[in-house]
Amino acid sequence: MHRVLIVARRDYLQTVLSKAFLFGLVLMPLLFGGGFLAIMVANKSGGTKEQRIAIVDRTGVSAATLIQACEQASREGNANSGGMSAAQKFVFEQVAPEADEPAQLLELSDRVRRGGLFMFVDISANALRPPPGATHVIRYYTNATGINLQGIWLPAAINDGLRRVRLEQLGVEPAKVDESLRIIPVERMDLVTRDPATGAVAKSEKSNAAQAELVPFFLAFLLVLVVMAGAAPNLGAVAEDKVQRVFEMLLVSASSFELMMGKVIASLGIALTSSAFYIIGGMFALAGLAMFGAAPLDLLPWFFAFLIVEVAMLSALAVALGSACSSTQDAQQLAFLLFLPVFIPMFTLTPVMQQPNGVFATTMSFIPPFTPIVMLLRQGLPGGVPWWEPWLGLAGAIAYALFIVWAASRIFRIGILSQGKTPKLAELAQWVVRG
Amino acid sequence: MSAVEISNVTKTFRSVCAIDQLSLSVPLGAVYGFIGPNGSGKSTTMRMIANILYPDSGTISVFGQQRAGTRSGDIGYLPEERGLYRKMRVRDLLEFHGELRGGRNVGTEVNAWLERLGLAHCAERKVETLSKGMSQKIQFIATVVPEPKLLILDEPFSGLDPVSADSIRSAVLEMRGRGCTVILSTHDMGVAETLCDAIFMIFRGRKVLDGTLAAIQASYGSDTIRVAVEGGIAGLGDLPGIEAVKDRGQVQELRMGPDCDPQQVLHTLAARTSISSFAVVKPSLHDIFVRIAGPQPDADIQEVQDA
Repeated sequence: MHRVLIVARRDYLQTVLSKAFLFGLVLMPLLFGGGFLAIMVANKSGGTKEQRIAIVDRTGVSAATLIQACEQASREGNANSGGMSAAQKFVFEQVAPEADEPAQLLELSDRVRRGGLFMFVDISANALRPPPGATHVIRYYTNATGINLQGIWLPAAINDGLRRVRLEQLGVEPAKVDESLRIIPVERMDLVTRDPATGAVAKSEKSNAAQAELVPFFLAFLLVLVVMAGAAPNLGAVAEDKVQRVFEMLLVSASSFELMMGKVIASLGIALTSSAFYIIGGMFALAGLAMFGAAPLDLLPWFFAFLIVEVAMLSALAVALGSACSSTQDAQQLAFLLFLPVFIPMFTLTPVMQQPNGVFATTMSFIPPFTPIVMLLRQGLPGGVPWWEPWLGLAGAIAYALFIVWAASRIFRIGILSQGKTPKLAELAQWVVRG
Repeated sequence: MSAVEISNVTKTFRSVCAIDQLSLSVPLGAVYGFIGPNGSGKSTTMRMIANILYPDSGTISVFGQQRAGTRSGDIGYLPEERGLYRKMRVRDLLEFHGELRGGRNVGTEVNAWLERLGLAHCAERKVETLSKGMSQKIQFIATVVPEPKLLILDEPFSGLDPVSADSIRSAVLEMRGRGCTVILSTHDMGVAETLCDAIFMIFRGRKVLDGTLAAIQASYGSDTIRVAVEGGIAGLGDLPGIEAVKDRGQVQELRMGPDCDPQQVLHTLAARTSISSFAVVKPSLHDIFVRIAGPQPDADIQEVQDA
């Protein structure tokens, strides 16, 4: 054990004291933080440009009300965006309908192409009382690309305007129209719980859906980043050490298993150092934003448990694959094997987040290589998971990690002294079986 | 008790038999030279003694203990293919190697050895900034701190300039003087003759020589005539009882057959040409090596046990 720790200390210090590690540690939050900042700045600066929307009202009576409703919705939309979505300034103009409808649509489209218009909305004559199942009653035309926020608020605003016209036509007083169409916010709440200390039913808190999904997403994402930063470098480093003939001299002092375990423990140390840095930094940031309550403190023990298992699994695999390589170029080619247990869960994040307790997400979270990331994500999402699932998942992941460490030690023992071409996967399997 | 006792060891790699029923005893405190052509099994034998490779059959004892699978600080091993952590500082690297092998801090010994080999000024430099010769000396120091009881050096002088080679040579002798047993392999027959107390030659995985230089040479007898004659090798054909003639430039070596009479050879030569020197000598280690490992049928290879 003493020799394992000596190897681990060397590898750990060699990494964490390197400029590349320190640079990366600081650079990563700057990149992500900077990314959000850039989005906010871009949105704010993009919103200063006036966007013109033309409305062609073929009902003959709705244009003024529609424009009023749209202007109000646009203002409220900008106010509610919190600065993160496009704070755009829209100007509406009424365009009188012409007899030659196709020619008018073409002319307006040309105005959009030339930049004179942002979009135009064509409201058909039967928009106030369309027949059941009618389509193409209200259409808007634009060449804007990207996420189309107008597609979110504009239909609601136009329908609001049409309802107002209908109500006026029914003789409802304008003062009562506002009251009739007033929107009541529907609030999402956390589930009610019982206070374990007093036994009383605790008051439920207002739930922030975005925050509730973002926090576990970021935690799972942090797990991926830290695991990759801790485990992946072993692949190239061991391959390079093998090419440089470093291991033979060490083997007289420490067994191949001790050398490998030293590297695995060093990777754990590196991953724990990085994650502690980010988590403590994140706590301070949340406290500074008066959002400390959003910190997933109950998930942190699971985060570290899954982190340790995932790093042990992947760093042992990286060491084994690195030892089998006959050049650092070969190591790059084998990297996909190392990244699969991380990338596959990342590709499935969307379906897992949509249905965290669905069959797919549950199955994924019990496949040992994917368990740490998927289970942690499911745990953090609203609704959580049954209490026994993380324990069962962790047990499976630990068993799988032990198997990987065992298999890796058998590959490493042969690999570090082998010469010649890099073995194929079938040969690696033979090394594991024969030892 | 021997420092190393190898008994009937066989080692194969796939279908290739690298070591075939090898037995060898290395006495305590000796400098033992391993010689043999490339690929004959020297490094494999050393790796097995160092416990890096394990024999398929047979046993290896070091200081009376069979130690398959275990590690101790008693053995220092300098492999033929050398490598060091290039990004580490010299002092950190040496202390890491010393602590890993000996389990204790070796700072004082590292300083002493750096001073001893004239590398004290390099202690804080990174390994990647050192010359090849300096790196080899650093690797030698990594092998000898903390002081081992058995030192295994695979080609320790290859690639070194004469000054560096001399400093390593004197360090080896110093280690022996402190009671350390040294096993070293070399392709330099001069090194084997002058530095080693005993020599072991392996050829195609089998032991073909084992003993002191004097005993090995004695087993071959005084079967060589070294002459310098007017006209050189041109006048040395068809001499009675001579099996082979080798031209070494200023002198020629005549290898005598079993029934050769040197007096008759001298007479014949004197009748042919003018002789400036004539001596009956034992074959050099180089000659013996070439006789064994040179191109010849397998049947001619005969093991010389404890010659």
